[in-house]
Parts: sequence; structure tokens; C-alpha cells
Amino acid sequence: MAEYLDRSKDIGPYVPQEDDDRIVCRCEEITKGEIRQAVHMGLWTMTEVKRMLRCGMGLCQGQTCTKNIKRIIAAELQVSPAQLEEPTVRPPVRPVEMGVFGNEVESL
Amino acid sequence: MKRYDLIVIGAGPAGLSAAIEAAKCGMQVGVFDENARPGGQLFKQIHKFFGSKEHKAKIRGFQIGYELLEEAKKWQVDVHLNAVVMGIYEPLRITVTEEDYITSYAGDNIVIATGASENMVPYDGWTLPGVIGAGAAQTLMNLHGVLPGKRVLMVGSGNVGLVVSFQLLQAGCEVAAVIDAAPRIGGYGVHAAKVARTGVPFYLSHTIVKAEGNGKVEKVTIAQVDDHWQVVKGTEKELEVDTICMAVGLSPMSQLARLAGCQMKENGGLVPVCDAYGQTSLEGVFAAGDVAGIEEASSAMIGGKIAALGAAKRSGFLTEAEAEEKYKAYQASLMQLRRGMFSHENKGRTDLVKTDEGYPLSMSLLQKGYLDDAEVEQFPGVGTKKYIGIHPVIECTQNIPCNPCQDACHFGCIQVGNEITALPQVVQGSHCTNCGLCVASCSGQAIFLVDESSEPGFATITIPYEFLPLPQSGDKGMALDRGGAPLCEAEVVRVRTSPAFDHTALLTMRVPQEMSQKARFFRRREVVQ
Amino acid sequence: MKTEHADVIIVGAGIVGNAAAYYLTKAGMKCIVLEEEMIGHGGSSRNGGGVRQSGRDPREFALAAYAAKHIWPTLSEELGVDVEYRQTGYLVFGYNEEHDKSIASRIETAASFGVYMEMKHGDEIKEICPYVSEHVTCAGWTPSDGVANPMRATLGYYIRARELGARFITGEKAIKINKIKGAARQVVTARGNVYEGDKIIVAAGYHGKFLLETVGIVVPMQKKLNEMLVTEPAPRLFDYMIGGMSGFYGQQTKHGSLVFGCPSGREYTFHELQTPISTSVTASFICESLGIDLPILKQLKVVRAWSGWVDISLDGVPVIGAVEEVPGLLVAIASTGHGFGPGPAVGYTLAQLAMDQPSPVDITKLHFDRFDYGKKQPRYFSASGGGALTR
Repeated sequence: MAEYLDRSKDIGPYVPQEDDDRIVCRCEEITKGEIRQAVHMGLWTMTEVKRMLRCGMGLCQGQTCTKNIKRIIAAELQVSPAQLEEPTVRPPVRPVEMGVFGNEVESL
Repeated sequence: MKRYDLIVIGAGPAGLSAAIEAAKCGMQVGVFDENARPGGQLFKQIHKFFGSKEHKAKIRGFQIGYELLEEAKKWQVDVHLNAVVMGIYEPLRITVTEEDYITSYAGDNIVIATGASENMVPYDGWTLPGVIGAGAAQTLMNLHGVLPGKRVLMVGSGNVGLVVSFQLLQAGCEVAAVIDAAPRIGGYGVHAAKVARTGVPFYLSHTIVKAEGNGKVEKVTIAQVDDHWQVVKGTEKELEVDTICMAVGLSPMSQLARLAGCQMKENGGLVPVCDAYGQTSLEGVFAAGDVAGIEEASSAMIGGKIAALGAAKRSGFLTEAEAEEKYKAYQASLMQLRRGMFSHENKGRTDLVKTDEGYPLSMSLLQKGYLDDAEVEQFPGVGTKKYIGIHPVIECTQNIPCNPCQDACHFGCIQVGNEITALPQVVQGSHCTNCGLCVASCSGQAIFLVDESSEPGFATITIPYEFLPLPQSGDKGMALDRGGAPLCEAEVVRVRTSPAFDHTALLTMRVPQEMSQKARFFRRREVVQ
Repeated sequence: MKTEHADVIIVGAGIVGNAAAYYLTKAGMKCIVLEEEMIGHGGSSRNGGGVRQSGRDPREFALAAYAAKHIWPTLSEELGVDVEYRQTGYLVFGYNEEHDKSIASRIETAASFGVYMEMKHGDEIKEICPYVSEHVTCAGWTPSDGVANPMRATLGYYIRARELGARFITGEKAIKINKIKGAARQVVTARGNVYEGDKIIVAAGYHGKFLLETVGIVVPMQKKLNEMLVTEPAPRLFDYMIGGMSGFYGQQTKHGSLVFGCPSGREYTFHELQTPISTSVTASFICESLGIDLPILKQLKVVRAWSGWVDISLDGVPVIGAVEEVPGLLVAIASTGHGFGPGPAVGYTLAQLAMDQPSPVDITKLHFDRFDYGKKQPRYFSASGGGALTR
């Protein structure tokens, strides 16, 4: 079960910041402002933000941006980054061509 | 399905060490690595390692890599290369991409030794080509022989930033500056000092404001930050660089551990919770090296061995008592590396003002990257005593785990003692033979041989020199001080190379006598055609 | 421990629960939505995003058609969130005469609900999808089907419902329904909190089975692991939903990535797993199955595979509607792996019922008590819910 979270809690308004235009997730070109706005729409978990915006869903699977996204969401929710659960790790941990993935052989 | 007693994921220092140790215990071991060549980061490490003999100190990283490979071969470890582990699945299975197929292997135990990846911090222009990780720069230079750029800004003054800065200089790049948002240099003082003496400026409490350029990095703006990491307006500086190297920390690549379902905790990124033997919350799944917590390669190698002991014990290749005995020895060796001012508990501390021995730490070294002339003499490796004849000057002033200098001198001139983090001291009354082994053995390039009495009015200084082309005897140029500022005319009187020096040349230069405690680097006068 | 009140208590923040919350709050009702995990944790955001009417059982066809006709086309504007709905059609591949017959029967069913579907052979298939291999011998084509983005649709309903005042509480696992004076009125959570309302909607997937049992209602269900994967983005190959009689289904998303799933047939053996983790078996099977029918996809890189629980009803269609035996209780569970497309319509239907309004379509055949003891029932041999499990 997840942490108790009442989504009607007031986290204050979205206030634009100078660096909102800055790209945070390079693979999917998602900006800091988009992430901050998503939090103010009620997306309070890293997974929800990811599912809405695709940040961390690109070829690198969040290897580069996860830490930075975590910090941004935590700041918006006024919690410590360590309190946020990172999205589930999904296999394959490295991208692999479908032709290879579908070619399963027995190891000997 | 092929089954191993132990599957090791990652053929870096931790993984290979685990594999060798396990094989020595009689286990059948398979190592899987996604790269075309094994060794992990080791083959990028062209510098000499710290530690003591048992930690393979003063050996260059890539040579340690070769040694480990040789040993793995000897103990018949199966090393699968270009083998990408896609996932760990129940019950203790891995699925691997090899060539154009996937296949699964079963293991009675699994050691995850997947290492770490580089952190990035976003700023305006950080997505421009030319912004790269310091580790990536190292890969380009040292594995592929490609220069990352011509003029580089290094962001981050931890050991990675310092070591890579030096390697960039060695490769022929210009390093415009090393900056760090922290008020103190994060890495070893000796690493900073060898960069600083070539003339590279350090800007502490500085951050990167923006990178600009037309399709690639052409210019960068840096600025000072206050105590709250906010940019101080009006302190902006522009530097013309084509490359920005980011050395702002590493994150454990712990995805496989998370995928397997290991319980995780926060430690500079998510790392698996492990017991003394590196076993995670899942029985039979171990973690070793950076993936279990970022440390140096020397520690990773011991961590790998300890995990192997855990697996060997679990599968009955070692009795409880046998494992325990070996464990104690490795643990003691690991604890030696984990002491001193750069140990985990002291990491990032800005309140340390004294060494373990009570010497005041050099603030100049922490803030500018080099020892202030006035501070040097207080340290036990330098001393105030007037020497007659040649003698070593050891500018090693922080408690770092390292002692090859002590072993290098066969005449007992240098003493570190049992505590390998202690500052080396020059033994009173000992006699230096000018063999130069201490200079070449110092992984921090912090030992110099000084002779103030060779010739009236002049002194000779022997410095470690790792740049090409090597100057020749008779070459004239400038002696630089510890901060890299031109000091005086200097002439090269001797250049020594030897297999025993392992590619560190010993350059002896002749300078006016009063410069003997100031001149620490030589720059050849450019020959004008 | 506290007791909170609302007009309607909804258990489950999936597409149905969120849609119901949206339609209810829009109509001025006060709602509390309780979710054990996070918003859209379950199947709602893990599926292939098909908005499909064709191939459906006649009992649930009307709901799927209602959603396709009356809700999906305007949903993005309505929610203010691009749910990436595109009415681009659905193409299902067959490989033999048996499949030919099966598609023909789907065409008949569709026609009886006024939905046009046609049979394609040989070059006719290639006219729609030039990438098919010779393995595909026949295909059914339904132009009025389409695709959407399940994550954005599920979150979109949540965002709008929350904005309109619906109260969402996550990390709040419902464990019991309390009856007061014969009617379902309270939901008790694992944390000991009590939520009271005039109506209770259970839209909690497989977990709903246990919640209903607390008021004596038994819905025969199984849970099964299902897996999907997604590739890197590719240039536009096709815009419609694709399925195969080999069991795969999926789409090329608006983003360009390809999202596909396919049961390998081994999923029933993964029951013991506590969490729906991916296996090494199914993803490989998906890739192999797709590679046979659409060889061009082989070169695309898979970046991620995931799994989820499918709540499977004994007879392959969901249980939706009011539980008259327990006044005040409404239910939508056992969607059997094809509940996303009709989801908005199901949420709308439950909202209507909760406000004592009529259902927009006939849902009587989805009634909870069709499995009751003593009822004359067909023999249920398979409850796979997916396609034929042939490799």
C-alpha cells in the first residue's frame, strides 16, 4: 500500500519560475515548468508525472533525469526528495531490438 | 539452462574480484558484461592507484585491469562480453542479450556489480553538444584516443574532476578552469595540486550559469554562489570553451537490484540494503562495488571479494569459519581505505581544520588547489630543517589512505607508519641516494627531490613529469610555482625514465637557490621556428 | 480513525472510478475516491489503449459502442487533457480458415449493433497495412474503432474530477463495506478510517472481489498476469489499432512508440507472485509474435516491458451495475482485460445509477447475480479473456 496522501491538501499555487523553460528530461524534452505544472494538476507521485508527461520514459529510462525530476517534484510538494518513491524499474534495463528480444534460445 | 554456482553481473573491479575470489573457493563462475572489453572503468584509469600494496597501490588502473583478467582466466572464470543483462528474474535467473538472441542463465548466487553512472545538473544550454560527463571524456581519450575538445571547463572538484582534468592536460587539451559550487575542493589535495601547478585556475563556490553557442558549446558563464547556493549577481565570468565536463557525482546503477526486488535505501541514489557480506534482502543476491555505494575502485575490489565469500559460504564452498577468517582480513583491509578526511563519514565536511596528527589543514590547498609557500614547511614531509645534499620533499598534507612512498625508499628515509592515512614524514638523519623511486611511486605526484647544495647559488629540483613530448637535458624554460605562475628561468639538467618508474619521468631542473621551495613544475620554452 | 462523509464513496482510482467521480462532481455530487496505491495504478494505465468495439461479446458491445460514439471523440476537449484519442480503425489479423470464420462472426455481431466491419484478404490487407507478412491470410477491419493513451485518459479524468472538487485519497486501502439498516453505507479502510455515503461504487479490479464478499456478494473471478512492452519512437507506420489471432494487440502511439502486448499462455503459472512483475518469458513472446506478422518491427528497440493483473470473470465479460441485494452498492469489476475502451462509458453509467438515473445502455446481461447458485449457466471451459494461445 502506498503512503496516505489526501490529494485535496493545499500545496499553494503554481508560481512561474525563471528557469521553467529548461529541459530536464533530455530524451523526451520535458521542461521543469511542465513538471511543476503537472504537480499542481494533482500528479503527486513520480510515476503519475512520468505517465502524464513521459519524462524518464525515453531511451535512457530516466538514468540521467530521475534525480533531478525527484528534486523538482519534492520542492513543489514541499517534502524531502527521499520521501518520493521512484518509478518502478522496468526490464529490459538496456534497450534491445525486437528481433533480438523475440529470438530466445536455450543456454547450454 | 546453463547454471553457475555464481553469476556476476559486471566485469569491473568489483565484479572481476568477486569472480576470482569465488573461483578460488571452487565455484563455477560466469561473469557478464555489456561492454566489448572487460575491466569496467579500470581501463580508463591511466593514473596510479592509492592505498597500500595489498590494494595494488602505485599500479595504474588499466594494469590492474590486465592483472585481474589474467587471474580470471587462470581460475577459469567464464567471462561473457557484449552480454547485456536485461533483467534478473525469479528464481535467481538472468536474461541476457548476446549477439542476435536472448538467453537465460541460472545461478545459485548472483553478485550485482554494475557500477555507477554520471550525474548531470541542468542549466541553460546543458543539452548543447559539447556538454559531456567527465567519465565520458575519459572514455573518449583513454579508450578511443579521441580528444573531447580543445578547451575544457571542468565542473566538479571531486577526485573524478581532478583526475580527468589532469588527463585532459596530458592528452593535450587546455583546461580553462575547474569550478565547484562547494567552498572546498572535494577531491584529494594532491590531485588538485598537480593540476594547479600546470596553471589551471580553481574557482570554488562557483556554479555554471549558462552554456551558449551556435549548435555547440562556444562559451560558458560561471558565477560565484552564496551560502545558499544562489548566484551572486555581478560575479559572472565568461570563459571561451568548446567542452564542458560535468564531474558532479555518480549514481549507483542499481536498476537490476530494484528489478530483482531488493529492498533499497538512499545513499547518493538508491542502493540495495546489504548485510556484512554484501547480501541484499533477497537470499543469494549480493551487491558489490559502486552499485552498493559509491567508493574508489580499490574498495570495490575488496567489496567484490567479500561478496564472493558470502556466496561461497552460502553454497557450502567455504565453511562458516573459513569464510569468517577471510572476511576479517578483507574487512580490515577495507577499513584501512575507509579512514581519513575523505572517508564516508567525513565526506563533504567543511569544518575539518586539522589533520589526524594535529597539523592545520592548508586552506589554500582546499580553496585554490595548491599549498601556500608559507604553509609548506609545517608538514612532516617537508620540515624546516636545513638539509645538506639531496633530500625528498613530500607535499602530502591530508590524511589519505596511501603509503607506497614508505615501501619505495629502501633506505628508510620515508615513514608513514601502520596507519596508512597518516602523513608521510622524512626520517631525521636518513640518507637519500637520489634513486627517485619515491617520486615515481607517489600516486599523487607530491614528492620532489630537492638539492640546495649542488652548485653555489642554484638548486636542483626533481619533479614527476607525465607529459609528452618529454623535455630533454639542456632544454630551457620556465619554472612554475605551485599555483602554476611563472617563477624563474629553469634549465633541465636530467630526465630519467625507467621501467621501475612506470612511465612517470623524473625531470630534474636547475633553478636559482631561493626558488628551491617554490618551483614545482617546468614549462619548456616554445621553440619559435 | 475518523469518519468522513460524501454523497458517493468510490473505491478504486482507475479509469472507471475516476470517470464516475468526474461525471458525479460535474453533476454537483460530492465524492470521495479511495485508492490503495496511486492514481491509475492498475490495469487502467497498463493496457494497450484500444478503443475497440469489434470482437466484443454482444453483452458488453453496447457499452463499448456508447463510449466510442458519445464519449471518446470529445473527451480531450471535455477534460482539457489530450487523451490522444484517434478514431483510426482496428485491424485484426487471422492466419487460417478458422480465423476467417471467427472474423466473419465478429462482423455479424458488429453489424447487429450497427457497427461496420469488413473482411480483408491478401492485397486488400496490404492496402491498409503494407507491412504484413505472408503469415497473415485474412483480416477484419473496423474503421470506427480507435486508440487512445490509457495513462493520460485515466489521469485526465482524475485531474478534472479533482479540479471540480472530488476528493481523492491514495494509500487508502478499502477493506470492508458496512451496511447500516440493510443498505451499504460505509467503507472501512486498512488504516481504520471510515468513509460514509449514500452510494458506494466498487471499481477496484480484482480486489473488488474481496470487498464485495464483506457484504456477502460472490463474483467468481480469477486474476492473471498480463504483460506489455513499448519501443523507442519510430516514424509513423500506422495509426490504427492492430491485433492478431495469435493474441497480440497494440498500437503505434501518438508519440511514435509502439505499445504491444500478447499473452504467452504461461501467465496462469505466475499466480504466486505477490506483485505483477514482468517475466523474461512473455516479453520475448510478444516480440516473436509481432516479428512474424510485422517483420519491420524487428529493428525497433524495446525500452520497457511491464505487467499487471487482469481481473478475469468466469464468463469473459465484466460485472457492471447495481447490486440490488445490497441497496446503495454499485459495482464495475472483472473487466477481463478489455475494460479500457468502454471505461468512460462504464464510469458514466455508474454515475447515472448513483444519481438514480437510468443507464444509457442496456447492461442487464452484465448483472452480478448471473453466476448465482441454481442459475442455469453455460459450462465454462476457458476464461482466458485473451486470444487463442497458439504460438
